[in-house]
Amino acid sequence: MPPLANAGQAPGPPDGGWGWAVVCGAFVSIGFAYAFPKGLAIFFKEIQDFFGTSYSEVAWVSSIMLATTYGADGKKRNQDLSIRDQARCRHPSLKVLSAAPQLPGPISSILVNRYGSRPVVIFGGLLCGIGMVSAAFCTSILQLYICVGFITGFGLALNLQPSVIIIGKYFLKRRPIANGLAMAGSPVMLCTLAPLNQFLFDNFGWRGSFLILGAILLHCCVAGALFRPIGAPTPPVKPQVTGKGKDALKEEVTEDAMEMGSPTKVPMEDKVEEEGGKACCEKINQYLDFSLFKHRGFLIYLIGNVLMFLGFFAPIVFLAPYAKHIGIDEYSAAFLLSILAIVDMIARPTTGIIANSKWVRPQIQYFFSFSIAFNGTCHLLCPLASGYTGLVIYAIFFGLAFGMVCAMLFETLMDLVGAARFTSAVGLVTIAECCTILLGPPIGGTLIDTFGDYKYMFIKCGAVMVLAGTFLFIMNYYNYRMLAKEEKERKAKEENPKPVRTENEGRNSWNKETTRDGPELEPLSKEQEGLKEEVNGINEV
Amino acid sequence: MLAVKATGCARTELQKDPTVTTQDASHSQANSLTKMQTGLNVSSPEPMTTTRTVNRQTQGSPSDHLTFGHNVSVPGPDLTTQEFKQETKEHVSNATFVEYEILLPGVSGTSTEKNITLDRATRIELSCRLDNKYSHLKSLQVTWKWGNETLRHINKTENSWGIQLRIWDNSQLGSYSCTLKGEEEMHAVFHLQVPKIEGKEKPIVSYEGDTAVMICKSYGYTPTAWTWYMTNGSEQVAINDSLLADKYVINRVSANVTHLKILKLTKEDDGIYWCEAGFELGKSKGKLKLKVLSLMVPLKPFLAIVAEVIVLVTVVFLYEIYSKKKEKCAADEKEFDQIEQLKSEESNGLENSSTRHRKI
Repeated sequence: MPPLANAGQAPGPPDGGWGWAVVCGAFVSIGFAYAFPKGLAIFFKEIQDFFGTSYSEVAWVSSIMLATTYGADGKKRNQDLSIRDQARCRHPSLKVLSAAPQLPGPISSILVNRYGSRPVVIFGGLLCGIGMVSAAFCTSILQLYICVGFITGFGLALNLQPSVIIIGKYFLKRRPIANGLAMAGSPVMLCTLAPLNQFLFDNFGWRGSFLILGAILLHCCVAGALFRPIGAPTPPVKPQVTGKGKDALKEEVTEDAMEMGSPTKVPMEDKVEEEGGKACCEKINQYLDFSLFKHRGFLIYLIGNVLMFLGFFAPIVFLAPYAKHIGIDEYSAAFLLSILAIVDMIARPTTGIIANSKWVRPQIQYFFSFSIAFNGTCHLLCPLASGYTGLVIYAIFFGLAFGMVCAMLFETLMDLVGAARFTSAVGLVTIAECCTILLGPPIGGTLIDTFGDYKYMFIKCGAVMVLAGTFLFIMNYYNYRMLAKEEKERKAKEENPKPVRTENEGRNSWNKETTRDGPELEPLSKEQEGLKEEVNGINEV
Repeated sequence: MLAVKATGCARTELQKDPTVTTQDASHSQANSLTKMQTGLNVSSPEPMTTTRTVNRQTQGSPSDHLTFGHNVSVPGPDLTTQEFKQETKEHVSNATFVEYEILLPGVSGTSTEKNITLDRATRIELSCRLDNKYSHLKSLQVTWKWGNETLRHINKTENSWGIQLRIWDNSQLGSYSCTLKGEEEMHAVFHLQVPKIEGKEKPIVSYEGDTAVMICKSYGYTPTAWTWYMTNGSEQVAINDSLLADKYVINRVSANVTHLKILKLTKEDDGIYWCEAGFELGKSKGKLKLKVLSLMVPLKPFLAIVAEVIVLVTVVFLYEIYSKKKEKCAADEKEFDQIEQLKSEESNGLENSSTRHRKI
């Protein structure tokens, strides 16, 4: 039957066409998710005066929002923000919130696994809008915490992850470029939001601004509308799955092997989830794949990134206060951050293009490790920068390194775990990373307070990142070697005339089509080893 | 070459940084503190880059400067009253004493003026010093002036001329200038002022029925009292918060900061407000603007943006439905073609087989 036959050899992800519209949507969505919390800092002074609170209490608003959004950098404050405010950003509020629940990360993953990206993003956009509009009518700082911090923060979290996930579904060959372009949304939005927020504030005060910002955040719904679910809902090609959750799980893994990002995969997964999962933990396993913790590549990524985030964002938080400390005036110091954002803006798509080239793509993990180590080296050299020119050069290199790392942050994770498990992987990574993300700037702040000198903070950040980069480099070298070994073993087993051949052949033919994506298949082949019999039984169509 | 030297702990407004403390005076480049002691042969020259701060509290034990005072008679427009007050002031144990000096001639590009901020009664010495390069000049005539009045009793050392003043009243503030007349004329001015209060340049925007909070800060100097004024037409009317307690609340949050809270805003509250800080030596005002808007003002852009979002989402969904229909039509056509093809193949195959049979 033609349709069924086609399903087995369905084309890979579109890698273009509507995918570029999805990239635009992701650009907007990711941009708001990262840039919006930073942009709010302009209003803090006024809110602080209005409610008569201390600066720390007002900074909680931003911190809560950042804690509820993923990867939220409690770090990079807005360019226009006065230096005094920036210096205070390292206040206790950030430290306290390291214990804040990091629920939204896994929650978005679960929701995306269940409903797909589009409804989640649209719902997130609505939530953001409602949060900000209600914040415009707040009468106490506590209400602001809830409206701006929790509701809007949660809405932004629901924006961020589905955007990243859907890029993995639409792109394979050009995925690094798509990722780089989408992640470029963050600095672009920041550069746009900063003057916009200032303009709104001058003309409408903080209440009016929050109202209008709520409307602007509704554009996330537009972005969500662009996230067309990929693949028409075809009838389930795969044979009936038993009601057991475990089989359903393996089914997913099988599908990975069959077709990376196959158009038919999404409805399959939904079908599988609906049919399987009686036991509770098995059910959770479907929505959030905890078996990832046995995945070697995932663990390497997790440890390396957790280490890296300790020193990733602190330099941005403290760049402007450091500039002022060595005698540079407020506006020039804020301009340093603008330079950083502009270089960042250019660096991200460029890194995406470089990462997509045939020389780098197979070894993208090395490129990632290199960019982290490069970032760390910049920080180590920063104390040597003297005067404004030195800091400008530092800002340029830092912007470059920052952009490189951010552009490849999700790409490398996708590369390691594959597009299907990426949803769960991103959720799990969120929980683990958020603690260090939030700890980084306060640790830096403590170092500065103790020694009275900024250079120890830079040295600490630089050292941590160089260490993380080196760790990732070495471990990924080990990982590549192990994957190559497993690939060899698998090929050796192929010689045996086992029924496994049909499935392997199918995989191999697809392998040839996308030789560049060798490393991508490797992690999948590993799981294949353990599940061969069931796979065979299931896949004999 | 001009070097503007400042001794003492009063702030200079040239730096314009509110957080500058005495220790931070070292930030400005050509700042060096030297203590000039006339009549006493104390070596004063210090390298230009070092600074020495003079502690306000420990400064001015009268005995140290009594000798000083004896060598010099205090100039001033009203010598007798000044001398009298000098006697009484000398016994004040915590009187502050500051010295200021301008080096002449001026460097091109830098003005030979100095702003000195005083908030309380102070004994002050102003001096104009001639650069060593020019010490060869003879027959220099030096005049000190306060406004139009000429001051006598100038302290003269080797190449510096100074006057001593006691400021305890607003009327004594102003501009004191020294002129050195020789082959060229060199001029320096000291401006003695009360501390300035900065208001806000941008208006504070608030809404009808809402509350507005206006803040005034004094940087470095503690005022004795704060007063708020609102502008009624062209008049400035003092705000009495005890009289209109449910409308205005004045709160002195800390010694240097005052808050004015206006409740239940209406359109009439729109306008200019003044916060006035009272110091021992005078008063100083800061200006703030309040703008009161109605809720309709931000509502219009809000509704416009929401409408735009709805339009965009509708367009995207409609396009999606349209392109899906197109695909479906194309797919249906394709299926139709395929079925036709199969049918023709089958019929061909049947013919072939029957042909084969026949042949065989």
